[in-house]
Amino acid sequence: MEIVLEAKQLKKQYQDKLALKGLDLQLQAGEIFCLLGQNGAGKSTTINLFLGFIKPTAGAAFINGLEVATNVTKVKEYLAYIPENVMLYPNLTGLENLALFSRLAGFDYKKEELMQYLVEAGLPAEAAARRVGAYSKGMRQKVGIAIAVAKHAKVLLLDEPTSGLDPKASNEFSELLLRLSKAGTGIFMATHDIFRAKEVGTRVGIMREGELVDLLATSDLNANELEKLYLNYMH
Amino acid sequence: MVKSIAKKEFISTLRDSRFMVLSAAVLLLLLAATIVGLHSYKQQQAERELAQTTVNEQFANAADRHPHRMAHFGSFAFRPKSSISFLDFGLDSFTGASVFLEAHRQNSANFSQAQQSASLIRFGEMTVAFVLQMLLPLLIIFLCFGAFTQEKETGTLKLLLSQGVSLRQAAWAKVLGYSQVVALVVAPSLVLASILLFSAGGFEPASNALLRMLLFVVFYLAYFFIFIVLSVVVSALHQRSSTALVTLLAIWISCCIFVPKATANLGATLYTTPTKAQMDADVHEEVAKGIDGHNEQDERAEALKQELFKKYGVNSLEELPVNFDGIRMAAGEEHSSHVYQEHFDELTEVFEKQNSISVYAGLLNPYLAVRHLSMGMAGSDFEHYIHFQNKAETYRYNLAQGLNNIQATRLQYGDKTTRLSNSTWKEFEPFRYEVPGTGWALCNHVVSVVALLFWLLLVCVGGFKLIENINVV
Repeated sequence: MEIVLEAKQLKKQYQDKLALKGLDLQLQAGEIFCLLGQNGAGKSTTINLFLGFIKPTAGAAFINGLEVATNVTKVKEYLAYIPENVMLYPNLTGLENLALFSRLAGFDYKKEELMQYLVEAGLPAEAAARRVGAYSKGMRQKVGIAIAVAKHAKVLLLDEPTSGLDPKASNEFSELLLRLSKAGTGIFMATHDIFRAKEVGTRVGIMREGELVDLLATSDLNANELEKLYLNYMH
Repeated sequence: MVKSIAKKEFISTLRDSRFMVLSAAVLLLLLAATIVGLHSYKQQQAERELAQTTVNEQFANAADRHPHRMAHFGSFAFRPKSSISFLDFGLDSFTGASVFLEAHRQNSANFSQAQQSASLIRFGEMTVAFVLQMLLPLLIIFLCFGAFTQEKETGTLKLLLSQGVSLRQAAWAKVLGYSQVVALVVAPSLVLASILLFSAGGFEPASNALLRMLLFVVFYLAYFFIFIVLSVVVSALHQRSSTALVTLLAIWISCCIFVPKATANLGATLYTTPTKAQMDADVHEEVAKGIDGHNEQDERAEALKQELFKKYGVNSLEELPVNFDGIRMAAGEEHSSHVYQEHFDELTEVFEKQNSISVYAGLLNPYLAVRHLSMGMAGSDFEHYIHFQNKAETYRYNLAQGLNNIQATRLQYGDKTTRLSNSTWKEFEPFRYEVPGTGWALCNHVVSVVALLFWLLLVCVGGFKLIENINVV
């Protein structure tokens, strides 16, 4: 299988704190990898390193075979990103936001196509023409999902993507991730949601104080066992 | 990519009601300043043209007089206003509008607007240049201070960059978007000014006025661009909008208020100007060392007389083919003019040295650079004032010497009773002043042009280099 995301002895030191302690990881196309961990465990640092927003202290991050640190702009062609709290341009409508971000990614969609992405992400059609400034967090999150999906990236980096979504929307999002996975997208998701991780994940990693302390295949255990294991590591 | 983000910035700004109110206020101020400035220009220009025509007619139709009495009767030179001076009054309000042209004396220009107005004029006038130099940068700061900080605070920057946009592209796009917004605020006023100006017609050639207007616009566009890039760079270097705004306001206060005052005070302290009383005393003392045209017993006049006797091979003033009174007057005029000119040049040099502090400070402050260039293109700077003053002096000297020559060639020695008719005075061309060409005006401000270019280069190269290395998270 094709490796779309890879970390080799990836380290990040912030002044006197080692935020990431030599991460080794591979993500294959079509795989959903869920990274569990408490706040400050190093999940967002890992995502920021893959996005090229910060430079590694040692080691290297790769997206689609390209080293991120030396191909900061190029690797963006292969990845899409959904942050924990999607913030958009408040004076533009949902549709205009999606059109803008899609154009920046090189896709010039027609209005109907954009509407389809928004509706598939769960945004009500009538909300698409309203300015984002009046959107709820969940609605913004849905536009963020549409932006990521419309990019047709090989790798999807998700940082607590279901934060702010209602259960129905979260469920629809899980279905969407599975669809994307089947289509060959490699998905790397940092999350606190153990049950969602078990539900959609192919593998689960548990991160503690910048270290990947366990790596599990979700098929090997149920959600309760995973929760127990996770809590054991956290104490 | 850059176009898409620029368009987003443009649309977002237009949909921001707070900014629209602020822009509308600035636009109204600009339009008001344009219309009021043009009205004032037309009124003053008409007054000066009428005054010049009147004094020219008075001179040409003056009563029968002895030519030297006519030299003392004199005339006036009124300084016509440059066509685009209504955009930047510059020093015009403080320098005089007219010079009395008489024999033996080199007068300075009198009757400035400031002399005739209330003291409020010293606090600055609401001109187009004032709005463009002081208020537009403030508008730009309010427009751009959150260019990057707001995106960092909300997290849209990470989303933007994750789409494959580089920081440099994002910065250029923002600069482009904000430039379009600023153009939207400034363009109506400048277009209106151009239409009003060129439909009315000025006293100078249209091509000169057009070129000056074009350069005026270009220099201001460069100035705004510098402020836009500077604001975007400062925003990129900060993590919070509030601190970016405080930094930018500190830069504005420093550039537009503190440094200009400081450089003016420094110039006046380093290079002190003599008092008018001192200068008059010095001039009087030196003039007294030369030929006194009115004193027949003057020793130097006696030497001149002997020289003429030798030249024409005669022994008495009556035998001379020329009237010695006129020759003596001409020699006295030559000497006194030389002395006056020397002192005037020395005074001008002191003023130029004072100004040079402010001119070179343009390398540290783009506001000063554009202020000099603005006045230069508007024809309301110190150099244009001196240019007029010199032209008026040349005319005065030629007029006085022309009348002395008439006395020397058409009147007999000792003849103080003959009166010449006004047909003689009509032989003299009236005073006409032409605003110097754009090239001349530009040459006076090479340092300011270099300063503006330096700032453009600094913000575009240095500023964007800094942006490339900012902390995104």
